[in-house]
Amino acid sequence: MATAASDAALDCKRPALEESVLPALLEMRGIVKTYGAVCANRSVDLDVREGCVVGLLGENGSGKSTLMKVLFGMIRPDSGRILFQGRALAGHSPREAIAAGIGMIHQHFTLVEAMTVTENVMLGWAAAGAVLKPAEIAARIEATSRTYGLAVDPHAIVATLSFGLRQRVEIVKAILRGAKLLILDEPTSNLSPPEVAGLLGVIRRLREERHSVIFISHKLAEVIEICDEVVVLRDGAVSGRTPIAEATREGLARMMVERDLSAPVTRSARAPGQAVLAVEGLTRRDASGATRLSEIGFTVQAGEILAVAGVDGNGQADLLDTLAGILPAHSGRILLDGRDITRMSVRRRLAAGLAYIPIDRGGTSLVPGMTIADNLAMRDFDRPPLARGPLLDPGAMRARANERIAAFDIRAPHGDVQARTLSGGNQQKIVLAREIGRKPRLLLAFQPTWGLDPGAARFVIDQLLLLRDEGGAILYVSAELEEVLTLGDRIAVLSNGRLSSPEPRAEVDVTRIGLMMAGAA
Amino acid sequence: MKDPVALGPIELSASEAGAPDAGALFQRLGAHNGLRATGRAVVAVLLAFAVTAIPILISGKSPIAAYWALLHGAFGSFDHVAFALNKSTPYILTAVGVALCFRAQIINIGGEGQIAVGGLAASWVALNCGDLPSLLAIVLALAAGAVAGALWAGIAAVIRLTRGVHEVLSTLLLNFVGVLLVSEALNGAMGEAGAGFPQSPMFDEAVRLPTLFSGYDLHVGLIIALVVTGCAQFLLWRTRFGFQLRLLGGSRAAAAYAGVSFAGGVIGVMLLGGGLAGLAGGIEVLGVHYRLIEGFSLGFGFTGVAVALLAAANPLAVVPAGLFFGFLQAGALAMQREVGVPSSLVYVIQGFSIVFVLCAIGLDRRWQRV
Ligand SMILES: Nc1ncnc2c1ncn2[C@@H]1O[C@H](COP(=O)(O)OP(=O)(O)OP(=O)(O)O)[C@@H](O)[C@H]1O
Ligand SMILES: [Mg+2]
Repeated sequence: MATAASDAALDCKRPALEESVLPALLEMRGIVKTYGAVCANRSVDLDVREGCVVGLLGENGSGKSTLMKVLFGMIRPDSGRILFQGRALAGHSPREAIAAGIGMIHQHFTLVEAMTVTENVMLGWAAAGAVLKPAEIAARIEATSRTYGLAVDPHAIVATLSFGLRQRVEIVKAILRGAKLLILDEPTSNLSPPEVAGLLGVIRRLREERHSVIFISHKLAEVIEICDEVVVLRDGAVSGRTPIAEATREGLARMMVERDLSAPVTRSARAPGQAVLAVEGLTRRDASGATRLSEIGFTVQAGEILAVAGVDGNGQADLLDTLAGILPAHSGRILLDGRDITRMSVRRRLAAGLAYIPIDRGGTSLVPGMTIADNLAMRDFDRPPLARGPLLDPGAMRARANERIAAFDIRAPHGDVQARTLSGGNQQKIVLAREIGRKPRLLLAFQPTWGLDPGAARFVIDQLLLLRDEGGAILYVSAELEEVLTLGDRIAVLSNGRLSSPEPRAEVDVTRIGLMMAGAA
Repeated sequence: MKDPVALGPIELSASEAGAPDAGALFQRLGAHNGLRATGRAVVAVLLAFAVTAIPILISGKSPIAAYWALLHGAFGSFDHVAFALNKSTPYILTAVGVALCFRAQIINIGGEGQIAVGGLAASWVALNCGDLPSLLAIVLALAAGAVAGALWAGIAAVIRLTRGVHEVLSTLLLNFVGVLLVSEALNGAMGEAGAGFPQSPMFDEAVRLPTLFSGYDLHVGLIIALVVTGCAQFLLWRTRFGFQLRLLGGSRAAAAYAGVSFAGGVIGVMLLGGGLAGLAGGIEVLGVHYRLIEGFSLGFGFTGVAVALLAAANPLAVVPAGLFFGFLQAGALAMQREVGVPSSLVYVIQGFSIVFVLCAIGLDRRWQRV
C-alpha cells in the first residue's frame, strides 16, 4: 500500500515539473461496489495528479472498469468518497462528471455514424448554444486537433473514419467539453500498431498540456512506455502501486497474478499433414464494387498455424467472414478437407468442423443480454447434444456451460447470468471457450487475445498450440507482429486485399514483414 | 448507438445480479426478472389510475365513486366476469403473437387486419360447413381463421424480405385492407339480406363455441388462449425456433454469425403472430357474436400491441396484462352508466399504464434478458 510519503516522492516523467510536487487532481477513497455476492471493488483508493498518466492494471474481472464507471458516475458505489479538483463528487451522473472536467472514452464509441465530426461534437453539448454555429465549432475542433496532434477532419462523416480516428474524435469531444482528466478504458485493444503509436503520442501531448489520463491496458509494454505511475488491482483491491521508474514487466505481472508468466511458449516440431483448408483465387467486392479481396490462394495443413499479419482494414475481416460463410465470395473456391464449401451455409460449415472467433466490434460473437449458457450454445444450439429434435436440452446446455466456465476460467457465478454482467475479458473468454471448445478441424481466429490479461492470453495461446498439436488447422489473423511471430508455423501478410505467399517461420525476415504490413513492399 | 449519458446514475442491475443462494435460484427459475417486471407493471397501473383521477376530478365527479363503479362493473357478478373474460381472450391471443414478434425485434402492428381476415375466413367456414359434426366444424373454422391471419401477416413478411419495406408500414396498411375486406364481404356475398346493417346471417348452433358453464356466456376461447400462451412460453425458451427468435432479437449480426436466417425467422414469427391473431378473430365471431359483423375487430389489434408492451413482450405476463385490459373495458360501461364519467376514460388509463411501463422498461431495457 502506498503512503503519503511515497506518493510525494513520485517522479512524474514531465521534465519541467520534475522537482516540484504536482498538485492532486483526483482522490478516490474507499470505493466499494458489490454486485450481489461479487465484490467488484473492495475499498479502492486511487490518486491522480495533474499532468500525470496513471496506468490501471489488473486481471480480467479485477474491477478496473467498475472503478472507472464509478468515477464517471455511470454506477453508484456502495460507499466511498471522490474528490476531484478539491470538490466532492457524490451521486453524480455522467453529465455532471463531464461538467466537472472528467472525460471517458468507451470501448464502444458513442458517435452517430451518419453525422460529421462537427455535428457529433455539438451533439448534446450545452455550451454549443441553442443556435448552433458549426463553422465556429469546426474551427475549434481544428485548433484542438492541431494542439494535440490528433489530425481530425471536422467535416468528415464518422462512418467513413477508421476505428482509430473515431477514437480521436471521442478524445476531441472530451477535450472540448473541458476534460481535465481523461479515462481511457482499454483504448489500444482494437488498434493496429501504428495507431497505438499515434495514440501514445496524443497522450504525451495531453500530459504536456497538463491534462491527466487514466490508462487501462493489458499490454505491459504500453503501460511502461506511457505511464508515470501504475496502480494494480487484484480481485477488486489495490495490490500494488509503483512509480514507473521502478516498474518491470515481471514485477507488474507478479502484482497482478502472483504467478510466473515468463515460461516461454513451447511448441513441438510439426510433421506436415494434409491440407485442411485450401483457398483458390478468392475474390470479393463490397457493395460499392470496391475489391476487398483479390485472387487469394493458400492452404492450411492439419497441425499447422498459418499466421496472417496485417494492419486493420486490409481485408482481414472480409477474408475470415467469407471463409466462415457470413459474406459471399464473388469468385474462387474454398475447400475444407477436400470438400468444396464455397456455397455452403454457415450452419453446414459449422457442422463440417469450422470454428470462427471474429473480432467483436459490438454484438457479433456475443449477445450481451443472453445468458452465458445461451452464448456458449449460440452456434451449436440446433444440433445434438444441445438439441433433441426441435427442442433445446436445458440440462445439456447447463452442463456444457459449467464445463466451459471451469475449463476457461470464466469468472462468473454460474451459467445463467447474462453475459453483460461479465468483465470485458471474461466476455471474450466465452467466445473462445465456445469456438476452441468445439475441437474444430479448422479454426479461424481474429485477434483472439484482445482484451485478455496476460495470464488469460497465455492460456489461449497454449490452447491454440494444443489444438494444433492434436492435428487441427488454424488460420490466425492479427495486427500484432509479436503474436504472429510467436504462433505462426508459416507467416503471410495481408495488405490491400492481397495475400503474400506464406513463408516458414524460420525463413521470415521481420523487417520485410513490417514493410509489407505497411503496404510498402 | 449506446449513449452512456443516457444511462444516468441508475443502476438497476445491482439487484438483478442476485445473491448467490436465493437470488440465483430465482434467476434460474426466471422468476426474479418476473417479479421485477410484475412490480413494475403494478406500479405503472396504479400510477395510471392516480393520474386519470385528475380529469375525473376536473369534470366534477368523484374518482373514488367512478373507480368503484368500474370495479363493480368488472367484477360485480358472474355475468360481468364472464363478459370481461371473453373480452380479454382476443387481446391475450393477439398479444402473445405480437410479443413473439417483439422478441425477434419484428414490429407487427397488423393485428387488426389479421383478426379481421381471420374472422372472415372462420365465418365463411361456419356458414358453409353444411352438416359436419359440431367439433369438426368448429376446429375447421378456427383453423381457417388462423391460416387466413397467418397468410395476411405473411404478405408483410414477404414484402419485407423481397422489397425491403419495413413491416411497421406494411402491417399497418394491411389493417385497412383487411377491415375493408370484411365490409366488402358483408355488403356482398356474405351479408344477411335485408338486415340493414353489414352483418352475416347467424351461424348454426353447431358451430358456436361451447360455453364453459351452462347458463353463462363464458366460452372455451379463454382456455384456448391460456394453452396457447403456455405453448408460446415453451416455444420461446425451450425450442430451437425460440432460440433463433431470441438470437435475432438480441443481435442481427450475431444471428448471421450463428447461421440463423433472418428470412426464416421473420417468416416464421410473422406467420405465427398472424395465425394467433386470426385465431382470435375466429374465436370472437364463433364465441361472442355468432356471426360476422362489420367492425367486430375494431381496436383489437392495437390493444394487442398495447397488451404486449404492458407485458414487456413476455408471453406469460400477457395473461394478466390482457385480463387487465379486458376487465377495464368491461367495467368502463358501468362507470359511464352509474357515475356519468365517459367510458373513454378507460382508454386514458390504458394509455397511461403503457406510458409508465414503457418508461420503466426504457430505463432498463438493455438489461433485459433476451
Ligand atoms: N452489471 C454487473 N452485474 C453483475 N456483476 C458485474 C456487473 N458489472 C461487473 N460485474 C462484475 O464485477 C467484476 C469486475 O468487473 P470489471 O468489468 O470492473 O472488470 P475489469 O477489471 O474491467 O476486467 P476486464 O479486464 O476483463 O475488462 C467482475 O467479476 C464482473 O463480473
Ligand atoms: Mg474492463
